[in-house]
This record gives sequence, structure tokens and C-alpha cells, in this order.
Amino acid sequence: MLRKASFLIISATIWLTSCSNDPVNDLSDLDSQVFITNRDKSANFKSFKTFSVSDSVTVVQDSRSGTALTSLDKDLLSRIITNMQNLGYTYVAVNKNPDVGLTAARITNTYLNVASNPYSSYWGGYYGGFYGYPGYYTYETSESYWAISMLDLKNADSTAQRLNVIWDAQIRGGGLANPDYIDQMVDSAFGQSTYLSLK
Amino acid sequence: MKKLLIAAFLFAGMIPVYAQEQAPKLYTLPSPYDRYTHYQVTARYTAAIPVGSFSSNYIDKTSFENYSIALEWVFQNSFSVGGELGYSFFKKRLPRATYQQSDGSEISAIQTRTLTQYPIQAFVNYNFAPKNAAVQPYVQLSAGASILDYTLYYGILADQQQKIRPTYGIGLGSKFLFKKDGNFGADIRVKYQGTSFDYEYVDKGVSAINGSVGLFYRWW
Repeated sequence: MLRKASFLIISATIWLTSCSNDPVNDLSDLDSQVFITNRDKSANFKSFKTFSVSDSVTVVQDSRSGTALTSLDKDLLSRIITNMQNLGYTYVAVNKNPDVGLTAARITNTYLNVASNPYSSYWGGYYGGFYGYPGYYTYETSESYWAISMLDLKNADSTAQRLNVIWDAQIRGGGLANPDYIDQMVDSAFGQSTYLSLK
Repeated sequence: MKKLLIAAFLFAGMIPVYAQEQAPKLYTLPSPYDRYTHYQVTARYTAAIPVGSFSSNYIDKTSFENYSIALEWVFQNSFSVGGELGYSFFKKRLPRATYQQSDGSEISAIQTRTLTQYPIQAFVNYNFAPKNAAVQPYVQLSAGASILDYTLYYGILADQQQKIRPTYGIGLGSKFLFKKDGNFGADIRVKYQGTSFDYEYVDKGVSAINGSVGLFYRWW
């Protein structure tokens, strides 16, 4: 009886735990994209009139960084200019003292994650690990995303030689290197930040 | 002599008849399921309808990804006790929307809300009918714990929380024997199940009405 019951319980556990799936693997690249924007609440965007955009894109990979200007990067910078103009700002050269400056970055981070096994505190604590199952496990993930920042050049802190970021956007998800999606991605990031509009 | 032989044959022929009359009446004895405690294993497929604040605040979509297996010890009286191990998966997808976060940021994304639950419960059944009745209604009380996985996806970014929390349930069901005195049968059950949980959108626990159909096998 015990042997039969044990077999049933073990089989059921394997059967039930094998039911896990990935709930978002059916999302298309566009549907998987996430646009995160934030702003400095003290900034008065109506006080800015002109803007400039950096002439290249910053590429950050883990602790290393550099600059690049691929055709994809050009498309991105160009679309940033279009969006800022549509919001009512005037595009000027960097040497014309713009009120705000915009930068873009391609960031790739590789993370070594440490996650706790949710069962460990209940079983591992008493038995020193449930049949050798560790209390923690590690896994590595890599994520790339676009970051766009708006810097306040008009009110630069000259004493501390510091520029404040008054708005930033992150574009995450799938298809970020697809040139067909660039315009839509940049439009979405600006589109949800209605407070930027001068109109 | 010839008459004696004939009489002997007749007598010999009567012995088995007499023996048959004296043998226990096997077919009039109560079934072993009536006479002994026995065991029962039931596999169920369940449709789960979220209720309460779990439904109104997080997922209101009926889930059809729920399974369980129960092992039961049926006593000679009207009670039975056992354990049940289950799996439930709730999911709801929302169209793209912008969500305001507590830090002031805005997130535009397609939300995929999920909740996975592995309830492990002990239960007591009170059975209203004899062990060999074709229809055997019962009521059930259960209590145990659930391994919960709350994962809220913004696009492909996940906010996850895993906990082990108390679970309880109350149910009403019936068994249907396929054959009198048989080993196999069907089981239907409607059960309310509640689990305490508090994280983000789910602030007053996970509650659902579960309607299940199952098959059981019993042995002694």
C-alpha cells in the first residue's frame, strides 16, 4: 500500500510541476516592448524652447562604454529630432546654446542572478537541504535596451559642473534592433510623455 | 448388490448438493468495500472561476488549466480522509496601457497577469450514501498550504513574488460508480477554495470556485 501510494504521489508531483509554461512567449516583438518614462517633477518644460541631440549613440556593455553611429543609431537620433520638433521645440546646433540636450544609449547588461528557491526556507532549513536541493540557484541573463535622456542645459549647475536629467525613457523588449520598428518605438516613448509638449 | 450400488451412486450424487447448501452464501455477503476500510485515488480536471477581490482586482478570467490528484482512506462509517495535490494556473492579458508607478514613472506595456498555485491539502469527506450506491454524494472540508507564484508581466519584464500560504476549501460533490461493487467510477465536485496572499494587485487572497470532473479507482 505504502509503495503504491508513494509511487502515485511522486508521479503526480512530476506531472503537476511539468505543467509550467512561459505565459508571454506568444507576444510579438512589438507587443513585448515596454516603454518606461520618468521626469524631474520640478522641471518646467514650458521654459525650454530649443534643443540639440548628441551626434552619436553611447554604447554601454556591462562595465565598458563607447560611442557608435550605425544606420540604426542615425534612424533613432533622427526620430528623436522629429518628435521634439512635433512637441514644439526648435532644433539648434550644439554651439547655439540649446536649452535641453538629448542623448541616446544602447545598453546591454549581463546579469548573474541569484534567486532563492522558495521551498528552501521551509524544508532546507530543517534538513539542511531537501535531498541536496540547494537553497539558492544562479542563472545568467542578458538584456539590451535603448535609453534616451533629456538634460537641462539651460540651468546647468556650473559650480558642481553637473547637468540634471529632466526626462528619460527606456525602451525594452523584443525587436529593438529592427530598423522597421525604430520610428514607432521612439514615437511611443515621447507619446506617453504629454507633459513635454510646448503646444 | 445391484440395488446397493445404485443407492450408493444416488447418495454420492447428493453429497455435493448438500455441500453446496452448507457453503457460505458468497453473493449475499456485503461487499468488501462495505466490510473494510479501503483506499481510493481520484484524478480531477477543474475549471476555476476567480471570485472576490482576486477577480475584481487581478484576474477575472476562468481558468481551464487546473488538475489535481487525491489519495483517500475511506472508513467503514460515513467519513473518509485524505490528501490532495493540485495545480492551478490563472492568466489574463490586458491591451497596451500606461501604468503610473509609485516612483512617478510611467510604464506603457501589454500586461500579462498570471498566478500559479500548487495547493497541498488534507481533507475530510462526509459521505451520504453507502459504499456501493450508484450515486454517493459527499461534502468536503480541506485545509493545507499552497505554493504560490504571482508573476505580473509588463511586456516581457516580470514582477514576481513566490510564497507558501495557508489554503482552505469547502466542497460538495458526488461519486458515481460505473459498476456495482466495481473499482472504477466518476467524481464531480464544486468547491470554494481560498488562499491568503497579499502582494500588489492581490491584497485579499486568492479565491476561486472550482468545478471539477474526475475519475477514481478504489481498492482494499
